Amino acid sequence: MQIEMKGIVMDFGPVRAVDNVDFTVHPGEIIGLLGENGAGKTTLMNVLAGTFSPNAGEIFIDGEKIHMANSLQAMRVGIRFIHQELSLCDDLNVFENMFLAEEIIGKNFLLDKKEMARRTEEVFKRMGVEIDPWTLVETLQPAEKQLVEIGRALLFKSDLIIMDEPTTALSTHDVERLFDIMRQLKTEGVSFIYISHKMPELFEICDMYCVMCDGRLVACGKFKDIDEQQATELMIGRQLADEVFANKPYYGTPEVALAAEDLCCDDFEHISFELHKGEIIAITGLQGSGRDTLADALFGAASYTGTITANGNQINRKGAVIEHMKHGIAMVPRSRKERGILNDLSIYDNISMAYFNTKFKNLLISKKQEKERFDKAKDALSIKTDNPKNPITSLSGGNQQKVILGRWLEAEASIFLFDNPTQGIDVGTKFEIYHLILRLAQQGKAILIFSSEYPEIYKIADSCIVMYKGKINKRLSREEITEKNIMFYSTGANLEGGRNE
Amino acid sequence: MNNPLQGISVKSMLKKLLTEYSCWLSFILLLILALLVNPSFFRWSNVTNMFVQAATTGIIALGMSMVISAGQIDISVGAQVALISGLGIVVLNKTNSILLMLLFSLVIGSIIGTLNGLLVAKGRMPAMIATLAMLSICRSIINQIGQGGPFTVSEKNFDSFRQIAAGSIGGGSFKIPYPMIMFIVMSLLFGLIMSRTKFGKHIYAVGSNSVSAKLTGVNVDKVKILVFTVTGLLCGFSAWIYASRVMAVAAASAGNLYEMEAIAAVAIGGTSMTGGRGKIIGTFLGALMFKIINNILTMANVPTFLNGGISGIIIILAVLLQNIQGRKK
Repeated sequence: MQIEMKGIVMDFGPVRAVDNVDFTVHPGEIIGLLGENGAGKTTLMNVLAGTFSPNAGEIFIDGEKIHMANSLQAMRVGIRFIHQELSLCDDLNVFENMFLAEEIIGKNFLLDKKEMARRTEEVFKRMGVEIDPWTLVETLQPAEKQLVEIGRALLFKSDLIIMDEPTTALSTHDVERLFDIMRQLKTEGVSFIYISHKMPELFEICDMYCVMCDGRLVACGKFKDIDEQQATELMIGRQLADEVFANKPYYGTPEVALAAEDLCCDDFEHISFELHKGEIIAITGLQGSGRDTLADALFGAASYTGTITANGNQINRKGAVIEHMKHGIAMVPRSRKERGILNDLSIYDNISMAYFNTKFKNLLISKKQEKERFDKAKDALSIKTDNPKNPITSLSGGNQQKVILGRWLEAEASIFLFDNPTQGIDVGTKFEIYHLILRLAQQGKAILIFSSEYPEIYKIADSCIVMYKGKINKRLSREEITEKNIMFYSTGANLEGGRNE
Repeated sequence: MNNPLQGISVKSMLKKLLTEYSCWLSFILLLILALLVNPSFFRWSNVTNMFVQAATTGIIALGMSMVISAGQIDISVGAQVALISGLGIVVLNKTNSILLMLLFSLVIGSIIGTLNGLLVAKGRMPAMIATLAMLSICRSIINQIGQGGPFTVSEKNFDSFRQIAAGSIGGGSFKIPYPMIMFIVMSLLFGLIMSRTKFGKHIYAVGSNSVSAKLTGVNVDKVKILVFTVTGLLCGFSAWIYASRVMAVAAASAGNLYEMEAIAAVAIGGTSMTGGRGKIIGTFLGALMFKIINNILTMANVPTFLNGGISGIIIILAVLLQNIQGRKK
């Protein structure tokens, strides 16, 4: 089956995620799709798999135009999508998940569970994994869940299988098995689109590469014609804008702003570090490294043991957000939509909320002061809005993020935790936010950035803490921050005999 | 040169009228309809009567407004009124003090409300279930104490206590009944709390997105508990007025469907049923509108038994309308 995408455009509000992309997959071909986070890879694949319907563009299968209405239809024409985030239902067992929406109905109009379990077992045998089809998905390990997800795509005959970072949780052994199956299917004419950040894997399994950057397809070719270095350059290949950050001065001072001592909880253990005023430290790590929970704990949104000292004062009431705020700690949370914005509230109220909770002592709120607070933040952060009385959802993602940052300027915070701060934000605004972060550092604020995006860490961090399985695996100095080093230490390659090297 | 701009502002004004002031718009339309059905609708005695009728549920609706804005619901308010007004009369008859009765009502109301809040916030129960259980408990207690019979104000206190609901200030043909004053003053107070205090902003924040609220330092559990406490307090206050209006509280039927009327007032007033958005002025007008509709129905000779059905339809329409507006956004 030959699949062609022509002139695909996908907008999310004001952000153009995919910009006029032409993309062709030939039968029996394995294409490696490369690009930074947010380059539009996953969005493009979601369009192909019918999850999103594009704002413009057409999809042809064997020369015939097809309208992809939903993911079920894409499955019917033989396109399978193995998603990056696990999309399994925890409360169902393994085979029920595998056959979800495609259940086998027996002669008596009831589910034929035996047959479904049998076929599930068959696929697992082929993959060389041992998972009982009757176990509840909830009880599986992340790696096993990923295998179930992959198995689901192999259950039915398909012509194109899209894999979005399928190996993040898998061991080397499982990856090899997966590659064997892919090679075998390839000889049967099945094509693959393989999205991954792991260069060695891409070079091992893929024939062709396609590189996306800022929503555009910027390069295509054969893997055998390039090496890893060139692939990275193609991917990052970003213009002058980077150079501003290349010679970023170090604003750090000897004064310690935030000291964490032996922090422990379920998701991480023995975390200790010091953050100086004006210093920018990045904390990175893969899913499940405890990075998210550490961010929450430092802000008091998750409970922990150990001590946090902010500006010389030890925080006594652990796990109380307001206590951490009163010690001058601020947080721009990850997942802005779910954890950042107060969606029904006005821009005024969104800006003022942290101030209300830390500084405000009067009985009644003065509208005049609320306007003054907003104007200050607006000037400092160049927020674009026509009416601050409108709900915050009237703003673009980048401006929403600025409002959330503005909250803490009003509350006069001195230690800023940025948790994945540029998620879903267009490139232009991303750079604005980096500059704002640098300006905060220049003013002597202490800054921690939790990020999984190497380009981001590389641009602004003075040093980088890499977490692996809940522990600090390595602290990289600015000179040592490279994509390779970050990947090396965040996959624990140094500890487990270089299994990803 | 201002012409194009004016065109925009007229259009945006119209849009504003339809979305932000839709409540006033329907209120005025309803008044016109009422006037057509009943030409003497605007007679002062009719107007004050309407306010007196709206006061008991209207005051509860102010609390309900808070609860719903925080993304919760309280269906125990009717049963609370029954329990508190019944017990309140017992206290009045024992102590002969109207003020002590008020104090008692407010305290008991706050305690029941706080219990509701604790179940929801600390017990992690859905508000619907927690307050449903509380409804059943309150009603059962007052039925047991009253043994089915009514709680009647003793003759000694009869004349003085009756004044709470029946008394008024002013004279001649221009009298303002006490319940009307209490309703208006309470509405102003709660309007101020919701729009101009930290607590009010916290309520909207919790109802809008409790995770984000927590991450800006809002004590989400405390806010959830307090909105129920305040609603209980208002139930106590309302029960006090209610007792004075009926003078004999029937344990099994007192406060029946008050939860429905209070929720209806909030819904008609344009408060989002999922929390986060809404205004007290809307609830104030909503409570009045509910009574005006009843008034129209009576005047139009619609059988009383059908009133409940029509109220139900009105709630459905009000919320549907909100949803359609929400979707357009």
